[in-house]
Amino acid sequence: MTTIASHIVNAQGKVNGKRRQGPTFLMALPAVLFFGLFALVPLGGVLAISFMEWNILGSPSWVGTDNWDTVINDRPFTWRALTLTLIFVVGSYLFQAPIALLLGVFMAGQQKYRAFLSVLYFLPLLFSSVAVGLTFQSLLSPYYGISAALPFDWLPSDWLSNSDIVMYVMIFVVGWCFIPFHALLYQAGVRQIPADMYEAATIDGAGRVRQFFSITLPQLRYTIITSSTLMLVGSLTYFDLIFVLTGGQPQNAVRILPLDMYITGFSANNLGHASVIAVILVAIGLTMSLLLNKFSGSTKMESDKAGA
Amino acid sequence: MPHAASTESRIPTAGTALDPKQPDGGVVGLPRPAARRPQGRKTGEKPNILAGTLGWVWLAVIILPIYYIVITSFRTSQDLRANNQLIPSSQPTIAPFIRVIENDFFHFFFNSVVVTASTVAVVLALSLMAAYYIVRSTSFGGTRLFQLILLGIAIPVQATIIPVYYLIRQLGLYDTLWALILPQIAFAIPLSVLIIVNFVRDIPNELFESMRVDGAGEWKILWSLVLPMAKPALMTVGIYQALQVWNGFLFPLVLTQSRDVRVLPLSLWEYQGQFGIDVPATLAAVVLSAVPLFIAYVVGRRYIVAGLTAGFSK
Amino acid sequence: MPRTLTLRAGTAGIASFSLFALAACGGGDEEASAWILTGGGWPAIEEDLERFNEDREAEIDVEALENDAYKQQIRTAVGSGDAPTMIMSWTGGALLEYVEQDRIIPLDGNTGELDDRVYESVWQNGVVDDSVYAVPLNDVQPVVMYYNQEVLDEHDLSLPETWSDVEDIIDALGDVEDVDAFSLAGGSVWPAFMWLAYLTDRHGGEEVFQAVVEGEEGAWDHESIIWALETMQDLGDAGFIRDYNAVDAGQNEDAQLLADGRAAFLLQGSWVYATINQDFPEFADSGNFGFTEFPVLEEGAGDPSNIVGNPANFWSVSADATEQEQEVAFDYISEHLYNDQAVDEMLEAGSLPPLNDIGDRIEGSEAEEFLSFADELVGSANHFQLSWDQAISPSEEQAFGDNVAAILQGNMTPQEFVDSMNSQ
Repeated sequence: MTTIASHIVNAQGKVNGKRRQGPTFLMALPAVLFFGLFALVPLGGVLAISFMEWNILGSPSWVGTDNWDTVINDRPFTWRALTLTLIFVVGSYLFQAPIALLLGVFMAGQQKYRAFLSVLYFLPLLFSSVAVGLTFQSLLSPYYGISAALPFDWLPSDWLSNSDIVMYVMIFVVGWCFIPFHALLYQAGVRQIPADMYEAATIDGAGRVRQFFSITLPQLRYTIITSSTLMLVGSLTYFDLIFVLTGGQPQNAVRILPLDMYITGFSANNLGHASVIAVILVAIGLTMSLLLNKFSGSTKMESDKAGA
Repeated sequence: MPHAASTESRIPTAGTALDPKQPDGGVVGLPRPAARRPQGRKTGEKPNILAGTLGWVWLAVIILPIYYIVITSFRTSQDLRANNQLIPSSQPTIAPFIRVIENDFFHFFFNSVVVTASTVAVVLALSLMAAYYIVRSTSFGGTRLFQLILLGIAIPVQATIIPVYYLIRQLGLYDTLWALILPQIAFAIPLSVLIIVNFVRDIPNELFESMRVDGAGEWKILWSLVLPMAKPALMTVGIYQALQVWNGFLFPLVLTQSRDVRVLPLSLWEYQGQFGIDVPATLAAVVLSAVPLFIAYVVGRRYIVAGLTAGFSK
Repeated sequence: MPRTLTLRAGTAGIASFSLFALAACGGGDEEASAWILTGGGWPAIEEDLERFNEDREAEIDVEALENDAYKQQIRTAVGSGDAPTMIMSWTGGALLEYVEQDRIIPLDGNTGELDDRVYESVWQNGVVDDSVYAVPLNDVQPVVMYYNQEVLDEHDLSLPETWSDVEDIIDALGDVEDVDAFSLAGGSVWPAFMWLAYLTDRHGGEEVFQAVVEGEEGAWDHESIIWALETMQDLGDAGFIRDYNAVDAGQNEDAQLLADGRAAFLLQGSWVYATINQDFPEFADSGNFGFTEFPVLEEGAGDPSNIVGNPANFWSVSADATEQEQEVAFDYISEHLYNDQAVDEMLEAGSLPPLNDIGDRIEGSEAEEFLSFADELVGSANHFQLSWDQAISPSEEQAFGDNVAAILQGNMTPQEFVDSMNSQ
């Protein structure tokens, strides 16, 4: 992030350092006020609570670093939750990104059936997590769901109760919800790739696959960065569907950090521990967004040329 | 290839319709908008059978749960699992829909529209302004601010809900729609700013310079240069945040209480009792809330894709 | 750009619209309030409160929240001093905490004749340190054993009176494809609490769990609890329905499995009687739908008349409310609660108020058979054990649920379970 931020300043400083003055801070003030009051102040509150013992009902009392000590040293589950979060984030990315990309390219095609399919692909975005949770609960039921409805004996029937597969099920269901949005981004991205690039490639005898890797992918660089940021940060803090569908069960096999924090805070009423988990989560997310931005920043000059 | 040829012949119309205001068409100088499409242009090749097949497979994956939602919303709770759940009821009923509508559905729907529209409108305006400041500011404030904003991306909403609750209480906004709008604006700002910044910083410096030479002030530049150029980013952010707000249920759950200010996702929980759920009614409410969005999407689809596409090439 | 203009105008329209809507919803003023739940018999409770408002020209503002939303909000509201005047609870650990934190006031002297009318085993749940802090407000919800007579007939089985009868039934059904002895919604976990509570009680009596509630050191590590957990794991191998860990109670799958004849029995709360009548009318009307008590454990120390379940939901009165508001709440509790009309409505709906003076009213009601059975069960119960998850301290509730789930999934031994619970 420092890279990118200073990069902006440098570029401007070099090109027209002498007399240009930027926009006034008033431009950014409303955003800063909102963000400060409703996000940073509460975040400070969370940090403070992480040093307190509080069960919501009584009054909070100061306990120093006890919560931190317990959560990090005496709570093995914290590390398991971290691992699960990592699996969930990476798994979600590996599942969503390629499919969204391929679908986006597919949807960008002009064939009539593709336009028709694109409309239907959008549908999952319309359903809230409560609805999706309820639906998949029914569909994955061992007695009344798809396993019973379809004549395939090899289908497992314990989708949501088998701790070995429930993580994959959740990655799938969450992907089901979010892939359409990312596919939409890629569709738009592909649509703006100049066609003469493909024409030239065709003349050179490059096939579909070759064109995909040598033209489509590099040209989609920006879309890929935007979409990846949304996917990674989104799945790191994802909560709704996993909560609705499993509550972390079976065997806490999908109790990723956001869910762990919620359960610790609101089901077990231990806000102190929950706040420690929250702060850890913020730290991870911050690191991740720093890395992502560094990555996107480093490609800046290049893409400028290509796009111009 | 008869198939490809016929597709090709329709394209000019379809293409024009899909991109009503083709911003880069002029730049790249394409006589036929259709020729921009990688798929449409391969007149000499076979149709992409593999892609087509996979496309239909994905459709099946997408449609099955939605098909279930729709057929189940027409069931009575008696035949909810009477037979195969994937076979529509032999005696469909609209009773679940009537239950839902009688239960103030449109009121909740209206609340959701108000909250979503206000939140997204404010988020877009504030984020665009902030992004403009961050990119163009010559002082070090822009960098600092950007660092601060990046911090916000990683704040999980659930983490801060208790402090937010106390804050909203203090402000006297508990159980009003403001309690939903204001914090959601705040939490949407970081990601929105990040994405918009990535766009705004690619606007060539010369464009800013020439506007300045013409004597344009900051607000004029924002309005006539940054806004149009950032449209794809605004579109992306707008859709993403609108979906987040529309479907979000944690803020409503904690920050509101009375029926007057209930929004749709929370209202779905109404069909859930202490020990069980009225599944057909819940899914009927889901269908009812999805239909207007779907129609809006079908109607506005071309604009959405065009909006996401516009402004890239400079 | 006409398109942009339209869009903009539309947005502006929505925005001004929203300002109007926001202005329209004001804050609250000084009036008593009560939060209740949605679904089941709650709409009737709401109507009853409304009737009270009309009769007395009183103002109790009623808000209905979904179960999970309620649990989330009530704690925050009570903790920040913004609780409704009348606080609903399931008693147990949450009630104890309210009392310890002085969040609710004693109701002694303000309960009218309820003290005499309510069954003692139910009434005791609202008593803390010899003071009444909560009074029941709706129907009693004992856990009973439902059965499907058709399945029993088909396999030549009779109702189990003792635990060895149960074992015989499990053996008899062991080789039968697609039929198991007990339907269980293990995916929802809480139905398994009922098994744990009944088995422990039959084995060791009510004192075993009472020691846990009172926070005695190491109280979880009791042979009866261990036996109950072991038995549950045995039932998991043979007895409970296949894939019970994926069966969901929220969508009544466990009841459906009974109605479909996939299981012979279902241990569930009394509310399932209404569910089955409503959702599976064919089964309910077929004459095959029956209900009975939990079997006796021959060697067990527990009183066979003991029952478990939810004695009822209870009202408490907030200490943060004004005196005026508290007076309104007292009025409602002492003079209006369980009035004739409300009781009749409950009975019509097939639910049973925990009152000792309604025997003659049950006669002739539509659900007479079930209501008399439940009334007899509750009236003659030596002890009514509150659901364990409600009885323990709210801070242990999560660990308890997780651990029971681990027992069901075979990931924890009974000894590990009690050790984990002791360390909470």
